[in-house]
Amino acid sequence: MKIQRLGTMASLALVGSIALTACGSDNNTGTNAEAGGNTASATANEDCFDGTLNVEGSSAQKNAIEEVAAKFGETCSGATINYNPSGSGAGIKQFIAGQVDFAGSDSALKTVEKDGKVEATEAATYCGSPAWNIPLVTGPIAVAYNVEGVDKLNLTPAVAGDIFSGKITTWNDPKIAAINSGTTLPATAIKVFFRSDESGTTENFTKYLKAAAPANWAGEPSKSWDGKGEGKAKSAGVAEGVKSTDGGITYVEWSYAKDNNLGVAAIDNGAGPVELNSETVGTAVATAEQTGTGNDLALKLDYATKEPGAYPINLVTYEIVCSKGEDAETQKNIKAFLKFFASEEAQKSIEEIGYAPLPPEVQTKVETAIEAIS
Amino acid sequence: MSTLSTLDESALPTTAPSDDFGGKSSARAVKDQVARVVMWAAFLVALIPLVWILGSAVFKGGQMLLDLTWWTHSQNGITSRREGGGAVHAIQGTLIQAGVTALISVPIGVLTAIYLVEYGRGRLAKTVSFMVDILTGIPSIVAALFVYAVWVTTFGFQRLPIAVCLALTMLMIPTVVRSTEEMLKLVPNELREASYALGVPKWKTIMKIVIPTSFSGIVTGVLLGLARVMGETAPLIILGPYTAVIATNLFDGLMPTLPTMIFQSYGESVQPSVDRVWGASLTLILLVFLLNIAGRFISRFSKVRN
Repeated sequence: MKIQRLGTMASLALVGSIALTACGSDNNTGTNAEAGGNTASATANEDCFDGTLNVEGSSAQKNAIEEVAAKFGETCSGATINYNPSGSGAGIKQFIAGQVDFAGSDSALKTVEKDGKVEATEAATYCGSPAWNIPLVTGPIAVAYNVEGVDKLNLTPAVAGDIFSGKITTWNDPKIAAINSGTTLPATAIKVFFRSDESGTTENFTKYLKAAAPANWAGEPSKSWDGKGEGKAKSAGVAEGVKSTDGGITYVEWSYAKDNNLGVAAIDNGAGPVELNSETVGTAVATAEQTGTGNDLALKLDYATKEPGAYPINLVTYEIVCSKGEDAETQKNIKAFLKFFASEEAQKSIEEIGYAPLPPEVQTKVETAIEAIS
Repeated sequence: MSTLSTLDESALPTTAPSDDFGGKSSARAVKDQVARVVMWAAFLVALIPLVWILGSAVFKGGQMLLDLTWWTHSQNGITSRREGGGAVHAIQGTLIQAGVTALISVPIGVLTAIYLVEYGRGRLAKTVSFMVDILTGIPSIVAALFVYAVWVTTFGFQRLPIAVCLALTMLMIPTVVRSTEEMLKLVPNELREASYALGVPKWKTIMKIVIPTSFSGIVTGVLLGLARVMGETAPLIILGPYTAVIATNLFDGLMPTLPTMIFQSYGESVQPSVDRVWGASLTLILLVFLLNIAGRFISRFSKVRN
């Protein structure tokens, strides 16, 4: 008799959840119209598909891919793109294990052996064809600061290296003053914040310091920070830290600096201070050297570039795809989505949220590569 | 005087002079007061985090839950910087996965407990009991990695919602076994003996006497175990990636849940995401809270009258 009562309850719960299922709706087109900036309707896309793409990888490109996926969904309502921001390394592993359709990564597949494995070879074995690195998102890394009364700050790699390794401790240090004539610097102590978690941003920033100021930065480039300062988890953490601390400075993705209204330093690599904006980033990415062959567009950024008007601290994130896949349907869907991703419209939409659009030279190459996926 | 006889004496109605026990000694009164204050202070200190967490979740996430779309829409097509959308996809996923987990682990758990209490003798029972103890102690991340190793690495399957259920099952079974075992042990032996004396076979005694007597306790145990696995995060992160759309198929694709919804955007600093994280947290707290209330309710409702 008691058991029967339990049965009643269980069936009630079951009916309840089914009712909930019936009520639930995936249609959010009406609700987001007023938010989210530019929602001008996309041009009709003949490459729409019905289906799901599962993607995993770098958290640095999460916002970009989310934005583009949402835009893609506006015109192609049958398509769902899931992005799981578990990190570049995890994304590549899941890709090789066949768990995801393509991977997002801050660095191209490694072609040298590490722990007895070569990522590029493993990926090629899984695909049955070479895997390509396709750069689709460029995310500048901002040197973000919060110093009362300072709206404009120039930094050279040498001074940045000294600041981040703790050799310069106050904002009115003569070395900073020398490159910021015309700005009154307070005697506030410099508080450096760094990412306490392993991060591609840290790796790229330390790569920059190592390449551009080897005399001032002794550490080796790595995903974990070995300079001075206070650790905070994730980009949001370091940005929050700087925001709430007078005298704070950190390296963080541009979008976080923007969202938190932090000051962003102009970087002087030797050809005058360069402010961070999509043009200066584009100039730097256009000068990058292609290390992959053919349609494999792995790029090597020149961090020490003295090109005028090139902002040197950038992070290029890739989509890693099979050039030829076994599942023709999935490959077609990947191709359709990436094609949209590379389009001017999609690239423009991610500019609003702190990424930089691909420079035309790179964009053309990317389009050719995507066209060749089969 | 031996201890045994003291016990015997104290069990009898005593006429001993009262200054042995409740004498008006000021030292005792002080001790009593101190103990009372310490106890209350400890209670209040223990209450601080609870009130704090509940308060901030309600304060920061309450607004989200008042919006009807929260309960009717998914996050499809909504990025972390846009407002809108709801959590119905995640609520559903959490309920479905918890339900299936319970469906697998309750029979196994309850039957194991019955075996241990009613039948188990000798080495096998000891081994089973020992294994349950070990299972109770494994961290959820280990259960998740174990299922990942078997499901994905060894068999080469995709990460599916059903794999999450399997990992959660590993966490729920020991809880159910332990709580059911305690409840079955509480059933007075006299009841069993009375049943046997009437010539009722053992299996019938268990079905008709032992289980109904302890039923409310078993249900409460199951619901508490369920509440625990619903808030579990590690298996979900490893085996059940998040998706923003409604998914009800356990055997294909991904299924969103409240913990993964929180995990997906907890690192964001834009307001819509922050609100959403608090909203999802509050929803999860509410679900677990409702389960606990249901547990209490059922145990009161179906109490066996003596």
